[in-house]
Amino acid sequence: MFGFEYPSIQDLVVWPNYFGGDSFWALNKIGLISLLAMILPALMFLLSKKEMVPRGLQNVVEGSVEFVENQIIMPAIGPEGLRYLPLLLSIFLFVFFGNIFEVIPTFQMPANARMANPMFLALIVLVVFTVIGFKHNGLSYLKGIAWPHDVPIGLRPLVGFIELLSVFLIRPFGLAVRLFANMLAGHILLVTFGALTIAVFTTSVLVVLTPLTFGMLIILTAFEMFVSFLQAFVFAILTAVYIDSSLHAH
Amino acid sequence: MLFALLFAEAAEGEEEAINPVIPEISEMFWGIIAFAALYVLVTYVLLPPIQRIRNDRAATIQADLDAADAARAQAISASAEMADQLADVRAEAAAIIDAVRAEADAERERLVARAEREVNAMREIAESEIVAEREQALASLRPQVAELAVSAASRVTGRSIDGGSAQSVVDRYLTNPN
Amino acid sequence: MSVLATIGMQAVEVAQEAFTAAEERNIAGAAGAGMAYGLAAIGPGIGIGYLVGQAVQAMARQPESAGAVRTNMFLGIAFTEALALIGFVVFILLKFA
Repeated sequence: MFGFEYPSIQDLVVWPNYFGGDSFWALNKIGLISLLAMILPALMFLLSKKEMVPRGLQNVVEGSVEFVENQIIMPAIGPEGLRYLPLLLSIFLFVFFGNIFEVIPTFQMPANARMANPMFLALIVLVVFTVIGFKHNGLSYLKGIAWPHDVPIGLRPLVGFIELLSVFLIRPFGLAVRLFANMLAGHILLVTFGALTIAVFTTSVLVVLTPLTFGMLIILTAFEMFVSFLQAFVFAILTAVYIDSSLHAH
Repeated sequence: MLFALLFAEAAEGEEEAINPVIPEISEMFWGIIAFAALYVLVTYVLLPPIQRIRNDRAATIQADLDAADAARAQAISASAEMADQLADVRAEAAAIIDAVRAEADAERERLVARAEREVNAMREIAESEIVAEREQALASLRPQVAELAVSAASRVTGRSIDGGSAQSVVDRYLTNPN
Repeated sequence: MSVLATIGMQAVEVAQEAFTAAEERNIAGAAGAGMAYGLAAIGPGIGIGYLVGQAVQAMARQPESAGAVRTNMFLGIAFTEALALIGFVVFILLKFA
């Protein structure tokens, strides 16, 4: 209607390979953004001066480290969680920079709107909290989950089964899907309002609606920047919470 | 569970349009490489200098705060010491003033006493001199008075009076005027 | 009203005759997808509204613990939101897979 042709989902999220053809090392836009999500934070950290009185970029870098320490590790794990600062900081930076490309012109695609990055990050988190659980509690970690002590004996098999499912399946699945679906939904939302703005602008009568849709597009862009940050924060703090539950398994 | 389901579905519908939920192997390959590189970099290259400077800063601030505390404590003790010294000095000054005043009083007493003594001595000397002068004056006047009295008496009586007898009368009179 | 409904049903019938089997499946998928996401959004919508309301109340009553409340609020939102997002994924699967 009104010459409004919504692009197909393939056009929104699937990108041609720059090189590599069909091989497993073919690089497309998502891979490029993943690499940039590694290079940009590394450059930020390397280029920031290390002075007693921080200024400019050093504030940003130290602010990110302090944010992960004070807002993610301290509330979720406590001081003993500071050992996991490198892991949580890398997860936070990688997810945030992968997300923020959603609103950067010429990219305008969150790397995490494809299932690849969220899935392997979630699998890494699964491996990390399982290993930590076994390292700190031995085999009683598994026993504490599969045979919970604070439950009546008759219910223990059922609750244990649900707990096993929830810990080793729902947790990584939820992590991956939460990040993926949030970013994909945001991306589709932005595309929708972008396409709508173009469609309204090119029709003769409905051109008066352009400020409305364009204003909405701007507001949603700001909102998606917030969501990019929030999802990185949520992913990191959930990782911290899972690590904490492995450290203090009952 | 759902992953397996998704994968099964993907394998089954290979010819159909690409499922947007299925992860792409090539994307995951580059993602894993990027994340592994970032993790290694953060752990060994990027984070240590940041943490070092933050620890340095925290240590510097703590050291400055400690130094400020120490300086404040020192200032408090110094002012207390100064107050002590001031009190000592005041007491000493009061003692000195008292001593000096006592000494001055004593000196004055001594001076006054000496002056009085001297005055007394001088007065006594003067008095004795006066007595001596009077004696001398009386002694020198006595013959003249006798002579005058004899001449006056001779003029009154119209006859010459013997000088010797007259002299003894005058002496008697002057010695015992009553 | 009934006239309109009749016309509509006839139109649907005519349309259905014209569709191939694949197109029919697409239409069913799209309808199911819309339904799935709409239903999946109800519960989390209520849940997140209640959660944030309670969190704001907690922050208003104890402003000094606002930081901890906010962190836990985001955690709760993340868990609640997951249901709606699974609905969204189902939507994508039904619509495009």
